[in-house]
Amino acid sequence: MKRRDLLRAGVLTGAAAALRPPIAAAQSPAAAAQTNELTPAQRGVDASKDLASPNWKPLFFDEHQNETLIVLSDLIIPVTETPGAKAALVNRYIDLVLAAETRENQRAFLNSLSYLDGESMRRYKSAFRYLSASDQNDLLHSLAYPNAGSGWTGEAATPSPGHTHFELLKQRVGIAYYNSEIGTNRELGWDGNFTHGTYQGCDHEGNHK
Amino acid sequence: MLWNLLDQDPLTQSYDVIVVGSGATGGWAAKQCAEAGLKVALLEAGRAVSPTEFTEHTPAFKLKYRDHSPEVVRTRPVQKQCYACMEYNYEWFVNDLENPYSTPADKPFTWQRLRVLGGRSLVWGRQSYRMSDNDLKAASRDGYGDDWPISYADLAPYYDIVEKYVGITGAAEGNEMLPDGQFLPPMKMSCGEILLRERAKAKFGRTVTIGRAAVLTQPHNGRNACHYCGPCERGCRTFSYFSSPFTTVADAQNSGNCNVITNAVVSHVNMDNAANKAAGVTFVDRLTRQVKEVRGKAVIVCAQAMESTRILLNSSTREYSSGLANSSGALGHYLMDHVVGGGASGRLPDFKATPNANEPQRPNGIYVPRFRNTPTSGKHSRFIRGYGFQGGAGPEFDFGAEGYGASFKSAVKQGLYSASFGGFGESLARWDNYIEIDKNLKDAWGIPALRISMSHGENEAALMEDAAATAAEMLEAAGAKDIKIQSRVEMPGMAIHELGTARMGTDPKRSVLNPFNQTHDVKNLFVMDGASFVSSACQNPTLSMMAITVRACTHLIDRFKRSDV
Repeated sequence: MKRRDLLRAGVLTGAAAALRPPIAAAQSPAAAAQTNELTPAQRGVDASKDLASPNWKPLFFDEHQNETLIVLSDLIIPVTETPGAKAALVNRYIDLVLAAETRENQRAFLNSLSYLDGESMRRYKSAFRYLSASDQNDLLHSLAYPNAGSGWTGEAATPSPGHTHFELLKQRVGIAYYNSEIGTNRELGWDGNFTHGTYQGCDHEGNHK
Repeated sequence: MLWNLLDQDPLTQSYDVIVVGSGATGGWAAKQCAEAGLKVALLEAGRAVSPTEFTEHTPAFKLKYRDHSPEVVRTRPVQKQCYACMEYNYEWFVNDLENPYSTPADKPFTWQRLRVLGGRSLVWGRQSYRMSDNDLKAASRDGYGDDWPISYADLAPYYDIVEKYVGITGAAEGNEMLPDGQFLPPMKMSCGEILLRERAKAKFGRTVTIGRAAVLTQPHNGRNACHYCGPCERGCRTFSYFSSPFTTVADAQNSGNCNVITNAVVSHVNMDNAANKAAGVTFVDRLTRQVKEVRGKAVIVCAQAMESTRILLNSSTREYSSGLANSSGALGHYLMDHVVGGGASGRLPDFKATPNANEPQRPNGIYVPRFRNTPTSGKHSRFIRGYGFQGGAGPEFDFGAEGYGASFKSAVKQGLYSASFGGFGESLARWDNYIEIDKNLKDAWGIPALRISMSHGENEAALMEDAAATAAEMLEAAGAKDIKIQSRVEMPGMAIHELGTARMGTDPKRSVLNPFNQTHDVKNLFVMDGASFVSSACQNPTLSMMAITVRACTHLIDRFKRSDV
């Protein structure tokens, strides 16, 4: 057991014991004997710094795929007044998840990433990551808003394969970013507290007629 | 101190009562019997649980996969179908590879199980609603199925006992389909929910009320009020939602009359055939695989509806060749699970969406009691019975916002004000929805596993179709935009409200249990959980299961006092 696990267990057992002494006394030893049946989160493992290692190597992607994903993710979620996807190491997280994914999900992701390069080759004769910023933006725009330009003519929206591939990549990037420490704390502004008082609800009853 | 835990082997003693299962109902059975002075052995298939393993305050970024672990699926492909089984707590859920069951190819069923002290009470949805005579006597009113052998008047005092102990937040509404109870102060509704409440009442005469939940809104029975951190299913260090290990089971232990025996995977009930009495149970030690026995004057199974019936089916004797206490042949039949999959969601543009990561998280939603086929609504032309809605409305981050780049980032934070209703419909009790022992399948402890054959029927499909339409019209009445209708029938098991398979009744030829949860055939054998339900109603059933258990225990304790066990 790591030191922080011991600390965590000790602190919390103390808090629980103050509330209900018999339970903590009766059950903690049994539970502690079976820590192999606890999830890492239940053991108090903090994995938040794992991906930041200077010696990081991809588990799943090759170098081109990794570099492409870095470029793409930082276009989807760029630096604004807060850090973007690249700083949040979104590529490393997606690499970690995909390495543990089913073959089917691995294939789907690589297929979508390859679609991006394929379209880039077709339109600009170059892989996506080597395009100018302006060409990258034009290509992404055409995939992200597949029906742009048809609105005022009244044409029905048609789902395009490019849009589907874009959405799959974007969803992975979004999950990676908004669940990262940067996404949660810096972008969404979580203050690190778990309690923020009692739920207040609507305080202007009668104004909703 | 724990009763003679130190000076005697807990297995060599003879108990008054053996309780199998430590969840919502087993905890109550142990508490009631032990506090009445009976010597109780409480058997739990899983390990003990400690507050040190609660993770409700761990942010996702501390987890290896940020709560999107593909690894969980590998050992828990079935359990992962439930939102509550997550990277945080998956070890509380059974390993599907060790706990198999089978189904016919065209009848998928998802069976959510926890094997740990407290069982599913650790992760349940906490919604707590009473049934009324509109449910218990439904057969008399519409001609389908069977009435319960008990009425609301029989149950009401036990609902009172359970609610006063558990602590149920809620608001009294005087609704004919949803009896009021002993409520702690209600949680507040959001602006959007107030609007839905007003419009649903004005336009359709339907009630939208704040959810009734087993969550404390003020200190209660030595437990603290909710601190609104949000994810109850990962545990609660203030014990503010009801889970049995820190309430009923603790009380049973504190009485000095209850031995909790963990890691006891019960395989079958042992019979004294000459006396036609249960003599105890046999279990396999979960860790060592040693086979052990424990003896008692009465056996109560509270292992979860299908697990309890599985134990009886696996307890066949020469006298009861098709399952213990199964002279009726009804054991295993009339399996039910609320039908889900009909509802609607949308966006309420009248309200400014200002999602904030630093706001209290209310662990509760809104509820719409059944409004179809009520005494005042008249009969619906396309289906019998009805459904209720769980729902909610409020601001949230718009992670599904369109586009990319700085505008996408900004749109996510700008958020949207969403509103939704999801229906829970009554699952009709049908003979041909049943469980049996799969002779070719055993669990990791060598215990024969179940084959589950269940499908929802036309009535359930009609309920969900109607639920989709009525959810959408209520949202529309509140001015919702981008309304998305969902009208489908999810696979059985998805509601995680399994009921029936050992139903109660007055006729021993057509039911397994008498109105006090005692098997008709074996007088000292009891089934006190959802297995006993005659019909499913459409309300979340745990509160009713607990009330039924307390009522049955009162009867059993009385019989012990009269030396009639």
